[in-house]
Amino acid sequence: MNARPRSRIAEALFSLALLAYPRAFRRHFGAEMRDDFRRSTLGTLGTLFLNGIRERGSSIVRWTMFPNATPHLYVPTGRHHMFLDTLRADIRHALRLAVKTPVFTALTVLALALGIGATSAIFAVVNGVLLQSLPYRDDSRLVNLWSNNTSEDRPRNPLSPANFLDFQRLNTTLDGLEGYFTFVTPAQLQTDSGTEVAYSFFVTSNMFNMLGRTAALGRTFTIGEDSGVVVLSDGYWRRRFGGDPKIVGQVLSVSGQSLQVLGVMPPDFVFPYSGMLGPSGFTRVTGVDMWLPIAFSGPMAVNNRMLDQAGQVVRNVHWFGAIGRLKNGVSELQAGADARTIASQLEQSYPETNRGWSATVVSSIDQSVGTIRPALLILLAGIGFVLVMASVNVANLLLARSIAREKEMATRAALGAGRARIARQLLTESVLFAVAGGLAGMVVMWWSVRGLIALAPADLPRMNEVAVNWQVLLAAGLTTMLTGIVVGVLPALSSASVNPQASLQDASRGTVGGAMRRRLRAGLVIAEVALAVAITTGAALLLRSFVSVTNVDPGFETTQLLTWQMNLPPRLTAGPERLAFYRDFFARIEALPGVVSVGGTTRVPLGSTSVTTTVQIDGRPVPNSGLPEVQFRRAMHNYFETMGMPIRRGRNFDPKDSATAPPVAVINETMASRLFPGHEAVGQRVRTGPNATGPWTTIVGVVGDIRHGGLEEEPQPELYISYLQGPPVSPFIVLRTVGDPAALTETVRAEARRIDKNLPLYDMRTMSTLRSEAVATRRFILLIVGAFGALALGLAAIGVYGVMSLIVSERTREVGVRLALGAQPSELLRMIVGQAAKLSGIGVAIGLAISLTLAPLLDSQLYGIESFDPMTFILVPAALLLVATLAALVPARRAMRIDPLAALRIE
Amino acid sequence: MDKFRAESFLPLTPVAFEILLALADGERHGYSILLEVESRSGGAVALHAGTLYRALARLLESDLIEELNESPDPSSVDERRRYYRLTARGIAVARAEAGRLEGQVAAARARRLLRGAKV
Repeated sequence: MNARPRSRIAEALFSLALLAYPRAFRRHFGAEMRDDFRRSTLGTLGTLFLNGIRERGSSIVRWTMFPNATPHLYVPTGRHHMFLDTLRADIRHALRLAVKTPVFTALTVLALALGIGATSAIFAVVNGVLLQSLPYRDDSRLVNLWSNNTSEDRPRNPLSPANFLDFQRLNTTLDGLEGYFTFVTPAQLQTDSGTEVAYSFFVTSNMFNMLGRTAALGRTFTIGEDSGVVVLSDGYWRRRFGGDPKIVGQVLSVSGQSLQVLGVMPPDFVFPYSGMLGPSGFTRVTGVDMWLPIAFSGPMAVNNRMLDQAGQVVRNVHWFGAIGRLKNGVSELQAGADARTIASQLEQSYPETNRGWSATVVSSIDQSVGTIRPALLILLAGIGFVLVMASVNVANLLLARSIAREKEMATRAALGAGRARIARQLLTESVLFAVAGGLAGMVVMWWSVRGLIALAPADLPRMNEVAVNWQVLLAAGLTTMLTGIVVGVLPALSSASVNPQASLQDASRGTVGGAMRRRLRAGLVIAEVALAVAITTGAALLLRSFVSVTNVDPGFETTQLLTWQMNLPPRLTAGPERLAFYRDFFARIEALPGVVSVGGTTRVPLGSTSVTTTVQIDGRPVPNSGLPEVQFRRAMHNYFETMGMPIRRGRNFDPKDSATAPPVAVINETMASRLFPGHEAVGQRVRTGPNATGPWTTIVGVVGDIRHGGLEEEPQPELYISYLQGPPVSPFIVLRTVGDPAALTETVRAEARRIDKNLPLYDMRTMSTLRSEAVATRRFILLIVGAFGALALGLAAIGVYGVMSLIVSERTREVGVRLALGAQPSELLRMIVGQAAKLSGIGVAIGLAISLTLAPLLDSQLYGIESFDPMTFILVPAALLLVATLAALVPARRAMRIDPLAALRIE
Repeated sequence: MDKFRAESFLPLTPVAFEILLALADGERHGYSILLEVESRSGGAVALHAGTLYRALARLLESDLIEELNESPDPSSVDERRRYYRLTARGIAVARAEAGRLEGQVAAARARRLLRGAKV
């Protein structure tokens, strides 16, 4: 036997494989087997390794699952499936037990169903919004390119069209860069019955190809096809044209142009996401009805103000978005560096317009859902905590039951059941509970997902893409199994270590539960209270923020205001025609019954977007790129009075400020204090626009600040001009009413039809609705986290109650002895409540530590308070302590009423 | 214990029977059983160490084989080597199994399943 000696590695592997055998077997045969192995001459190291793995794997399977099955000395006559047999027996037993204790079963399954169902529902939302890919080919390689206004710290500022073209031409890291207008345009669709609004969106002609999507019907634009064509969205096609496939090839009259319908996009196609839009725009609507191509020359380019007086593409006005595809092997960072290099080249070539403009590259998924990510992750963390609490409660219930079943377990152990066997039975039971809870949880999830989608505010991106798909079901399944094991493992371990002799004797005396169990239960109470403190603290912080936001004074009266947007009939092109139209319009609307006053503006607060302009100040020469930027709006008719915005200094516009009179402006307090600090603003002269050369505009008044962009946004400098000196095309009208503004909608619409059938009114709503929508996302998150908080409080109360009841019932005999020896019932009450308070106190302390660690994560969602808000951090723990103590009071009172005679007689 | 009946062990698994056969010549240690089985079957039956030793454990438990207290080969001082030999019960069981197999072979021959079979 001249054996080739085996390498040490192979031997080590073989020794490792031996670990799969039971210890007794290893002790007896291990050395010999290793010896044999050393001498064996079979195969190479590789095959040996594989053999080792196979040996180990099959041994583990055999010894753990079929310990009695192989190898048989003789061939078994029947087929033995010990594993399945045992499983069947365990399941049968568990089911019998479940039916015998219906309340316990129902409570357990309900707690698990709520926990698993709610967790899966929140995960479905997170999955749909954050994890699912955008509806574009290879969406992970898509990036958005922005100008970075370094002087005013606006890293995601739109590009100018000329700069966009330069980035498209010069970049070396992108496989295609396409542009779009960063706003949705309400276009006028002319039909036989009148004019209606169609929300259109301008994209460069190669956009669809670059995104990798084709039309479901017809085709999209070809490269260079930049006018006279339109592509419809699936929703609009179905809504407006009844899903008629013959629409392709038809010609629509849109805003005075004839556009041929090229095709219809598939239902899942979305572009843009609201996050991809810029801060300026005409409408608050982000859903798109049709896509139009951008032309860089020709009449469409002139129409869209793409060209300056010299016929060059505009470089100093920024309203372009850009989205591109990273080349293979190029990272977002490299693309960003490349874009910044190009931006600095442009800065040198065009210092007048490009000084202070760098570039930013952001992944498109971030651009679309980045703002909502922190809120959703907070929800996910919150529900995770709730699930853990529900599991802890169930674990506690099971632990309590395992104590009650100690005699059963002891009997089993005495009859020869091993520790593993008992643990396995209990784990089977808990997994069975989890599976039942998981199945019921699917129903909970189904309804929760639908509820969440229905409740979600309209501006939460991608909510319509949330669905229960296989990833969600997989996650739910995994959650179920994990929960089953987690809730089962403590009771299983504690029961498996039962000492049959002690237990059987002990049980007969009526006291159960060892020191280990007592510690376990104390741990569960502490964990529950700690988690509840963490969740309720978060919920309280969000609640306080919500209250501060809703208490913000927007600077105007939001009640009894009706507002809508409208487009002037396209035939009115000259200024005087428009003014005549408006004069008639305001007079007729004002005359309607129930109307107090009426006015209008170009951007309505709390819901619209905004538009800005740079201003030059008379006597303060500044280079073009250093001009201050302010919000620019027009005031129409009695706008300030209707809104309830006070004139602080100077005067309001009046009818004498006509087109022929010297130009005048009214500014807000923020602009007055920021641009004219220490000086009287009234009487100063300004010029607006990037290349302003016209006459100076005199500031005649200062009006109160309003919260334009939203309740949480600080007021920006604002400059108003009178509509008489520049009539707008698609204004927002505001109407102050005597009674409920919503009641006037039909009257107003009817009057508008009588005034002109080509006057579409849209986006009509009351200012109170706008105000409530401004906090919709906040309310949505608060509602959910609030529900978690309530759930957490309830779970903590139930948990404490459960544990204390158990402790009291265990100590019945002890209490009886104490009472018999003369203890006062009130002392007992104090003892038991004190014990609960002590445990809760530890829990509260740990919970406070968790909250203090996690609170900064909530920062993005807080308003008007610090993340370490002292009131919250004192009140919440105090409330938790109170709840826990009250929960302990019930079992404590039961202990007080124990009859010492009866308690002692049990023995 | 019940009265010993060799038939109650039948039919033996192939591995168990191979081991009993290998020990029929005399005492052997585990590795030598492994080699013997392999060489006799021409490599057709390859015993894995795990299979062999688990089978040995079972045979020991059932009292069909026993461990020798000392090495039969005085020149070998390897203390880890355990030698096994058949017990009387083991011989009886092996014999019974061989008889059972013989009966099966005869039956196969009668049904002309074996080449060169006489009628």
